[in-house]
Amino acid sequence: MPTDTKRVRGPEVSQSPTLFLCKHAAVLPSHGPRADGRQRDQVDVRPVFVRCGLVSQAKGSAYIEAGNTKLMCCVYGPREMERKDETDMKCGKLTTDMRFAPFSCLERGSWIQGSQDKDLSLMLHESLQPAVCLHKYPRSQIEVNVMVLENSGSVLAHAVTCASLALADAGIEMYDLVLGCSIRQNGTSYVIDPSYMEENSCSSVSSENQGGLTVAFLPSLNQISGLQSDGEMTEETLTAGVRTCIEGCYKLYPVIQQALTKAVRRAAPPPSES
Amino acid sequence: MPFSANATPEFEGRGGEELGTELSNTLYKVFNNKHSVDLKSLCISAGEHCWVLYVDVLLLQCDGNLYDAISVAIKAALFNTKIPRVHISADEEGGKEIELSDDPYDCVRLNVENVPCIVTLCKVGHRHVVDATLQEKACSVASLIISVTHKGTITCTRKVGGGSLDPESIFEMTEAGKRVGKALHAPLMKLLQEEESLGKARQKVGFLG
Repeated sequence: MPTDTKRVRGPEVSQSPTLFLCKHAAVLPSHGPRADGRQRDQVDVRPVFVRCGLVSQAKGSAYIEAGNTKLMCCVYGPREMERKDETDMKCGKLTTDMRFAPFSCLERGSWIQGSQDKDLSLMLHESLQPAVCLHKYPRSQIEVNVMVLENSGSVLAHAVTCASLALADAGIEMYDLVLGCSIRQNGTSYVIDPSYMEENSCSSVSSENQGGLTVAFLPSLNQISGLQSDGEMTEETLTAGVRTCIEGCYKLYPVIQQALTKAVRRAAPPPSES
Repeated sequence: MPFSANATPEFEGRGGEELGTELSNTLYKVFNNKHSVDLKSLCISAGEHCWVLYVDVLLLQCDGNLYDAISVAIKAALFNTKIPRVHISADEEGGKEIELSDDPYDCVRLNVENVPCIVTLCKVGHRHVVDATLQEKACSVASLIISVTHKGTITCTRKVGGGSLDPESIFEMTEAGKRVGKALHAPLMKLLQEEESLGKARQKVGFLG
């Protein structure tokens, strides 16, 4: 297990004070409006603030804020790839990296990538790969780095959206933008775009359908590029959940398009009619 | 999940590590469920001691469709697990002393009724294929991994591969996967119980047994 050798930790016998706090298990009510005023069982995604082009060193970058979830993505490339092996030289390579800042979650994380981070990076890679025209960049490497500044639920979905925006901002050719949306099923009702509390609360009633689902979607091609679910659900619930996520993605689409056009206009202002 | 270079030449050196991470994480999601493995039965004394189950998988040879084979192997291994019974007695100074029973037959078995099995469906052209070999996998753009319990509930799904799927084909694949997964459990349990009942009279194959 990788350990952090650069930081001075307390003595071995010390334990975190949070272990001794009596934690009351947060049981969220499964009826009525949600904590932040949104409705259940409706496609009510959080309003999103998006901005492109904030990191001047990177080829392309994007920042997304949805409720309290804040993420940042930078894209570097296309760069010359070191010739490790002669296979796959006809198309480019996409590398993704997703990291959580240690201050992003309720409990302090570590700077070294854990296995959960690696898994999320892999999912991000699978969601973005169908959308990028890699055959146009032979022998090149495109790097996508996502940094989660605050984790307040549905991180993977927003990371996918942010990364595809950053790729568009960098001028990488793509078939379509990839939008992400996630949903949490609790018994018979679902909540779309769950917050951190909603994602991790275990309801006291152990009902049949309990789980979360994240979908990455290409809107104009009507293709799903990434799908991940966990928990326990019946097949009908899963199918309905996928449809709901697709609706959520369609709701986000105009906002993302507008942000992209604004960024392009700012970078290259249109010639004024004289 | 060590991937030895025995399996395929791709796993030489550190090649298998990425695949290993993906596999371990997906398997964790599949089994990390209240109803899959009865974790309460592993408790020795509430709030103090409990058994920790480690599941190690060693891949001997790879010919495609890793997830399905591994999930069947895990279910069989869990079925075969024998946990010795624990007796807790009070010590002189008031501390608890834990004694493990020495009798090899005095053990607790795990209930593997609800352990899910994984079905991988690969999309080749316009149709989908279950249990693809390595050659069939090379022709597919993307695959969908579904883990199904014997009741038909789906515990985990994941799309792998570098291609995109149509929503309609995903719905079709989910339905087919659920049907196949549900049908997989009954013969597996029957076979495991048959082999268990053979006991010492079991035929030894190769170096196993």
